Order: sequence, then structure tokens, then C-alpha cells
Amino acid sequence: MDFPLSFWDISLWLAVTAIILLITSELISPYYGKTNLLVNKKRLRDVALTVATLFLITVAIKVATIIISQ
Amino acid sequence: MITRIKPTTLATVTMLLLGTISLIAAISYDSLILAFIGLGLAFWGAILLYIRPEEYTRKALLEAALSPSLTTLNQMIQELGYKGDTTYLPPKYFKNPETTKLYISKYKNGTLPTPEQTQLYEDQHITRTTQGMLLTPPGIQLAELLEKSLGKSFTRTDLKNLQQNLPKLFMENLEIAENLELQAENDTTQNKEDHQASPAQTKNTTIHAKITRPIYGTTLKEAEEPSQTAAPIGCPVCSAIAIAITKATGKPVRITETKSSEDINTVEASYEIIEE
Repeated sequence: MDFPLSFWDISLWLAVTAIILLITSELISPYYGKTNLLVNKKRLRDVALTVATLFLITVAIKVATIIISQ
Repeated sequence: MITRIKPTTLATVTMLLLGTISLIAAISYDSLILAFIGLGLAFWGAILLYIRPEEYTRKALLEAALSPSLTTLNQMIQELGYKGDTTYLPPKYFKNPETTKLYISKYKNGTLPTPEQTQLYEDQHITRTTQGMLLTPPGIQLAELLEKSLGKSFTRTDLKNLQQNLPKLFMENLEIAENLELQAENDTTQNKEDHQASPAQTKNTTIHAKITRPIYGTTLKEAEEPSQTAAPIGCPVCSAIAIAITKATGKPVRITETKSSEDINTVEASYEIIEE
């Protein structure tokens, strides 16, 4: 009854999600004039940055584990 | 009372629910595919729920509700025969440090009232005297909203700071317009301390604002219609910019000109900062 996803799987999933969110956030930014889309752009950007940061943290943990294990 | 559930809310809640069920199933059956599906559905459901826009009103409704008020205000000023300059007075004219009011002098080239005179009528929305008329500007609420988004009062900024922050507020925070450019004529965009340090500089500064694709398009056009006053009051957007400038500089500001393109895609307004 364990959770089937490993730490590396979660990291990969975070990477893919972060890329999608960051690109979406950039494309619908008001600076490009796409103001017709009715979503809270500030919140979307915050989520994108949070997910990207989480991915980077997983990478940092992985790197730290490799260094410590050597 | 029957509450109508919006389709978007229904979709996001369904995604969340399916995602959770899928995650539970993934743990039960030890399935990697179900785990990815569950994680994706639950995550995107939560995201869509979180990034939902705030309550919005159709642009046409907003303009239809606003236009009559502005037209009435313009007509009222015309009927009362105020033909002088329209000046936005800074907070130093009032007891409350956040108050800004619009002053329309009775005759052209009329003088501005003294702070002692304006403080007498500070709490009234519209005040008529023999010299002029004092009223609440049409963009006061919008200016307050801009201050709320900025996180501080415009009185705590200077002109240079305003030139940097106002476009961001217009485009990113409140999405009032697609672009806003603020340009000061001459190199007089110094802060208040600099102005105080050089009293010899008495030349009036002019600020040119170029707004691209603003909301209140129709209202902007109506606000431009010729009136008897020497300077226009301005639409709520132009008025809010005038309030921001008068608060930031601490000096009276006059909208000298508003001009919009035929398709109302660009609106240009000129503001004159009056040196006392």
C-alpha cells in the first residue's frame, strides 16, 4: 500500500508541470496584450514560480544526496 | 433557495474528485499510471480553482452605467456657468492628508482658492462659492484602487516613482489598459526634496500620458465632448492619473488636453503641474 511514485518521478512531474505553467503564464502576461483571458494572472504566475522552485529543490536534494553518498 | 453552480466550478470540482479517487486507486493497486493521472487531475483541478478570476462585469454594462453620471456632471457644470480652469487640488489644501478635490473656477484665469477656504468645505461632495466650485473628482475611487494595489498612498511617492509604478498598476495589477506611457516634458521629474532645494525652478511641468486600449473607451470619448470649462474634467481613468500626479507632486494639476483616436485604441492626455 505504498505510494507508487518515487522521488525522481515526482521531480520529473514537477519539471513538466512547471514548464507548462511558466510558458502559459508568460504567454498570457498583460505585457503581450493578451488581456481577454479571464484568469487571475498574478496567481497563475505565483503558482508557476512555486512549482518551478519545488522542482529546483528536488534537484538540489538529489545533488546533495549524490555528494553525501560519495 | 437554489444556488446555481457555474460550469467551470463543476468542472474543477469534478477534476479534483476524480484525481483524488485515482490517487487512492493508485495506492491500492500500486499503479504508476493511475498515480500520474490522479496527481495531474488533482493538481490541475486545484490550480483552476485557485486562478479563477474575481467577479467581473461586462465592459458594455460598465460603460452604460458610468456614462450618464459623467454626462450629468458635465451638463451640471455647464448649466451652473462655470467657465474657468479645472484644477485637481493636492492634499495640502485639506485637513485630511489623503483628500484630493477638483476645483473649477467661475471665470477663466481665475485664481486657486487658499487651503483655509477649501478646508471649510472639505467634507462636502459638491460645494459652490462665488469664486468657484469644489467637487469630488470622477476618478477618486479608481485612484484609491490603484493606491491599494500599490500598497501605499501616492503621497508617499514622487513623480519619478509614479512614472515607474503607474504603468505596472495599469497593465499588470488592474489591467485597466494594455499600455501606459508617462512622459514628463523637460527634465523636471525630480523628487519633492529636489524641488524644495531649487526654488528658482518655477516652470510648469507638463506630463503626457498615452493610454493604449483602455477600458471605459466610450466614456473617454464622451468626456472629450466640448464643454464650457477651459480644461476638461477628464474621464475616470484620466482623472485617476491626475489625482496620482497631484498627490505625488503635492502640487495642483490641470488636465490641459485629452485626445483619443477614432477607434478609441489610444488616448492621450496632457497634465500641467502648476507651480505656486
